[in-house]
Amino acid sequence: MAADDLLVPVDDSVTLRKTVAYVAERAADADGRPTLHFVYPVSERVDTGDEGSEAASAADLLERVEVWVEEDLGDDDSVAVETAVVGQTEYLFNPGDYADVLVEYARRNGVETVVVDPEYNPLGMAPLLPPLERELESAGLTVELAPVERPTRRGPLTRTAGVGQFVVLFCSTYAFYLLVSGTLSPFDLATGAVTATVVSAILWRIATRGEVELGKLGGRLARFALYVPYLLWEIVKANIDIARVVLHPDLPIDPQLVEFDAAVWSELPATTLANSITLTPGTLTVDVTQRHFTVHSLTPGAREDLLAGGLERAVRFVFYGRRAMRLATPAERGARTDDADAADEAGENE
Amino acid sequence: MTPRELAVLALVAGGAFFAFVAAVGLLRLPDVYTRTHGASKSDTLGAGLALAAVAVTFGFDLSSVKAALLVLFMFITNPTAAHAITRAAADQGIEPWTTDEEGEE
Repeated sequence: MAADDLLVPVDDSVTLRKTVAYVAERAADADGRPTLHFVYPVSERVDTGDEGSEAASAADLLERVEVWVEEDLGDDDSVAVETAVVGQTEYLFNPGDYADVLVEYARRNGVETVVVDPEYNPLGMAPLLPPLERELESAGLTVELAPVERPTRRGPLTRTAGVGQFVVLFCSTYAFYLLVSGTLSPFDLATGAVTATVVSAILWRIATRGEVELGKLGGRLARFALYVPYLLWEIVKANIDIARVVLHPDLPIDPQLVEFDAAVWSELPATTLANSITLTPGTLTVDVTQRHFTVHSLTPGAREDLLAGGLERAVRFVFYGRRAMRLATPAERGARTDDADAADEAGENE
Repeated sequence: MTPRELAVLALVAGGAFFAFVAAVGLLRLPDVYTRTHGASKSDTLGAGLALAAVAVTFGFDLSSVKAALLVLFMFITNPTAAHAITRAAADQGIEPWTTDEEGEE
């Protein structure tokens, strides 16, 4: 098995052609007769009898890739090409699943280096590459990003919005303007109307998202009004705790990073939860990707409170109503701190 | 002293106390993450209490509403800033300080 063998996961991406050209050239330059493995991980199971459309398009794509490599290499016979469709026997959901099938393939074929197309993203919306790279590297493979030029792409900042969004934004902006100005004089009414119009005209596609349902919005605002005192109380309680820790002569801190998957499902609830976690002293949201929270905690007590899920439950109450409050807490869902693990181990040793 | 003056006094004293805790925390805590704890939160509460004192001083007045709005925006922006700082630190690969480094365990 040559050390120059390369594993390339493929998917129908805009830069795939360039990536193929890159690996072909690289393999041609290498000594010996390296093998290029092009692998297509299929996300759906295809062992159910009917050949899934995804499997068919996978085969198509792999065929195309082979043709491209032949084109690039011409008569150069020093490179072998293997193609494979992997992962047919399971559903691939997340980066870990993709990494697993790729690692298995790499092990079976003795490949040590994976070259990934920078636009490789079969999962669609969620960014797959960074976690995939991490998983592959932790499995002992070398991961490289193919150095191909790619078009800069930004997520669409504007979204489809209708008159409802415009009206909501206009009214709230206008109300805020009048509130701060503090008078209802004709001058303020006029300037406020102009300002609110300009602001909403520029931002109405950005500032609001989704359908505006006034009933739902009202319910949320009402529940949010209940949430605020709760949050304030939590903040005060926790602040006193932190003041004690900080002013304590021994500085009894035990900082740790805690990671858990929060049971909140969209941007605004996740943002609210992240900010609430940061506001309650002793815990500090470091990173949020989708639902996965990385939280820095100052004391063991703060960690326990976090995983007991009081805040999370309150945020669910605000955004999803009372029924959602009964979901399991992060601790019950299996989120662990090192403390708890250590305690378990101590328990087992006894 | 009227009850209102007492309330204002208590709020200002509380605000000053938590601002002080924030400063002490900044000096005593060991690394960027823990310091952000001190700076971002005790400070939020400190400034929040001070603004509450302002609101109580003015009573039912437009200035109180503005003070309340200031508190609201601070409660939104402060954690966001703390989050930005620590995330930048995490992206730079700065390892959080732990008690293990002192060799206590």
